[in-house]
Amino acid sequence: MEFERFFKFSQLLLRDEFVLSYSGYVSEDILEAVGDTLRQRLENHARNGKQIRNVFSIFVELMQNIIRYGGDGPQPGPQCGEKPSFGIVMVSENDGQMDVIAGNFVSKDEARILEERMAFLQSQTPTELRALYRQRLRETPESQSKGASLGLIEIARRSSLPLSYEFTSTSDDLSFFMIRATV
Amino acid sequence: MTDLKIEATSRTPLIQLSGAKGRLHISGESYPEDVQRFYATLTEHLALYFAAKPAHLNVEIKLTYFNSSSARALMDLLDLLEEAAQKDITISVSWYCDPDDDITREFAEDIAADVNFVSINILDLDVAAE
Repeated sequence: MEFERFFKFSQLLLRDEFVLSYSGYVSEDILEAVGDTLRQRLENHARNGKQIRNVFSIFVELMQNIIRYGGDGPQPGPQCGEKPSFGIVMVSENDGQMDVIAGNFVSKDEARILEERMAFLQSQTPTELRALYRQRLRETPESQSKGASLGLIEIARRSSLPLSYEFTSTSDDLSFFMIRATV
Repeated sequence: MTDLKIEATSRTPLIQLSGAKGRLHISGESYPEDVQRFYATLTEHLALYFAAKPAHLNVEIKLTYFNSSSARALMDLLDLLEEAAQKDITISVSWYCDPDDDITREFAEDIAADVNFVSINILDLDVAAE
């Protein structure tokens, strides 16, 4: 990479108070390693134990979402092991609030379904989210694939602001899905 | 042999099942790589314990963090306990929740509302002691 591009990249990263970011292929091992680092960083950055737990919990659900549903990235993925899931996760702090943002590629078909689910989650009150979580827990595996996953509901419940999200088309077949939770 | 001890790791809780004492203890954090496989060991040992028609089982849950997949495993565990409690085995659960973790407490309350035969007490977890 040229220094000029690297400099632009670093200026972008240094603008906010960055707690941690990871981009690349995501696996359970990476979730564990990055998660341990995140916890150590949160000890220095977070307001209290409650904020640490909520940020960590959202981070775990977002990483597992990428592992389960994320598509291949722009570069060839690992050749061995499970299917490659490419994504980016970032935790940043601004005036005591923490944003946890994640992005990953999804097919256009998946994007349409996901967009409906996200819009639905965004419309739910905390009481409705609690009821939805309880209902999803009781569903059979066949019906679990319909509607928002338990992980997404967990993220919505632990975020102090309604979830925000965006889809950006990156090719004829793929969209980049971005999701933000704030604690 | 129904006794079981699984040592805690950074992603999995300590699990101790003592047949002689009629006691099950779960503590620590739970976000295993393979949730179903992790909890299957406990489920198998519990099935053996219940098959011997014991009088009771006292369960203590002290989890400081669990992910959504573990929440489903915990619900399955409570379903298994409920089934045993319907067969005249007295089952009581002491579920310790961090006082400032509303979501975990609500989860425990919702589970408690769904069971009729198991008695569930939701208590405050002394976080500093864990």
